[in-house]
Amino acid sequence: MDPLFLAYSYFRRRKYQQCADICTQLLEKNPYDQATWTLKTRALTGQVYVDEVDWDEEGIAEMLMDDNVTAQIARPGTSLRQPGTGQGAVSQGVRPMSQSGRPVSGFVRPGTQSGRPGTMEQAIKTPRTAHTARPVTSASGRFVRLGTASMLSNPDGPFINLARLNFAKYAARPGLAKALFEYIFHHENDVRNALELAALGTEACQFKDWWWKVQLAKCYYRLGMYHDCIQQLKSSLKHQDMIDTYLYLCKAYVRLDQPLTAIDFYKQGLEKFASDTSLSSGIARIYEGLNEMDNAVKFYKDVLRVDNMHVEAIACIATHHFYTDQPEVALKFYRRLLQMGVYNAELFNNLGLCCFYAQQYDMTLTCFERALSLADENTVSEIWFNIGHVALGIGDMNLAYQAFRITLSNNNDHAEAYNNLGVLEMRKGHVDMARAFFQAAYVIAPHMYEPHYNWAQLSDQLGDLQSSYNSAKRAVDAFKDHVDSKELLKQLQHHFALL
Amino acid sequence: MPETKPLMKECLPKQGLTYHEDMPTVVLCKPKLLPLKSVSLEKMEKMQREAQELVKKQELENPEEENFGIY
Repeated sequence: MDPLFLAYSYFRRRKYQQCADICTQLLEKNPYDQATWTLKTRALTGQVYVDEVDWDEEGIAEMLMDDNVTAQIARPGTSLRQPGTGQGAVSQGVRPMSQSGRPVSGFVRPGTQSGRPGTMEQAIKTPRTAHTARPVTSASGRFVRLGTASMLSNPDGPFINLARLNFAKYAARPGLAKALFEYIFHHENDVRNALELAALGTEACQFKDWWWKVQLAKCYYRLGMYHDCIQQLKSSLKHQDMIDTYLYLCKAYVRLDQPLTAIDFYKQGLEKFASDTSLSSGIARIYEGLNEMDNAVKFYKDVLRVDNMHVEAIACIATHHFYTDQPEVALKFYRRLLQMGVYNAELFNNLGLCCFYAQQYDMTLTCFERALSLADENTVSEIWFNIGHVALGIGDMNLAYQAFRITLSNNNDHAEAYNNLGVLEMRKGHVDMARAFFQAAYVIAPHMYEPHYNWAQLSDQLGDLQSSYNSAKRAVDAFKDHVDSKELLKQLQHHFALL
Repeated sequence: MPETKPLMKECLPKQGLTYHEDMPTVVLCKPKLLPLKSVSLEKMEKMQREAQELVKKQELENPEEENFGIY
């Protein structure tokens, strides 16, 4: 068989490594074979290709020294930085909050793993925990780590020596230039050279090719030049309406913290591409970020009407139902995911919890057993935490205590487990232990109200009114509608006034 | 409106647990549903894992190079 044909066949079947190997052999014989060269470029890109729309990693520096935001103090409901309590938002007392003050979502994407911290102090402190390492800037993040790794793996050095390339020559040949651009952008992560090539490329097509404009915009986005990025994208839309372009445009607007404009553009996109799921799920994500759960669920349901296998929509709706007291409905959605072939620890954990709260006790423990057998080291701690809750529900305090302990042995930054252990110790009457646990919990996770409130309650009982007052205030800061904290605060204020 | 006799008689329990005073107590953290991971996130994690393993393997194979001959 012709080796080049075989290489193409491997490429189509996404066996990129084999494809690249054959191309290397061919190129050794004839270094000027353009077809082979292009194919190898594309195969190497394919190995590390991640959809750029989804790929979004913010470093600490980007977040805190972010001067791209249009309004520093935005009106409530118009900013992703200060999520308000929108329509249908579930109380913090029911649905746990992430660090950014938003309810935990049913689905994680690269950009949503950990929320935006509010202050410098929080930002520097929280990412130090072992399980949420955040790069200082995205320039030092995954991009670079993957890039260097791919070079290490190649004993003869990089495939293309970018410094030696004459970009102008390549830019004139669209077939070569496009593959080369993707290689530079995705495989080498060399945004500056990619930008140079894209600029030459768009010039070579007399600024009429929408594709090059989108690529320019991608480079600008990575370089943090969001306004230039938006300009390129809008210009590209004039030539050709593409779903991808709308998605990038909305991503840039989200980065500028203009969620409502982003929604407008998503809707414009929907007019051109009616019932496209990536556009409507984008709207739903933004509403979720704004804490407007009613709207978010509405759009996720729209997505499901078109594509009833959309994992993100199903997972988010299920999470919403679980935390609005309908575990039976949530169970149905999660079962649907299981039928579709999603088979991982997270799903079995969620199934187990739903079964327990929907009173289907026979399935609960088997689900958790399966979850534990599938889990990796990050998830194990969360699963044990939930098993602890099941144990609390059936009144088995020893099992609960052990489960929370195992949670901590797997992840010793698990603030929720510290808090719950504190509660258990308090029931046993070990006040000192309880205090230590509560303190550990609120030091690790100052955004949760529970440890603050518990500490306040305990200190109040022990007569340490000053620290009780301070803690109660912190609890109210974290969760401003918590009645018990406010009640305690009022009592203490009354007490102090009497002195 | 004419006076009508109520059909049902009001009945208040006199013994047993008649009322419940809400005592503030400590609160537990809530159970946590785990978010599912998107395809690109899983792919990224997989790529990172593979890259790490590759680097580790190379370090094991030729330790002199990695440490620049310094022990």
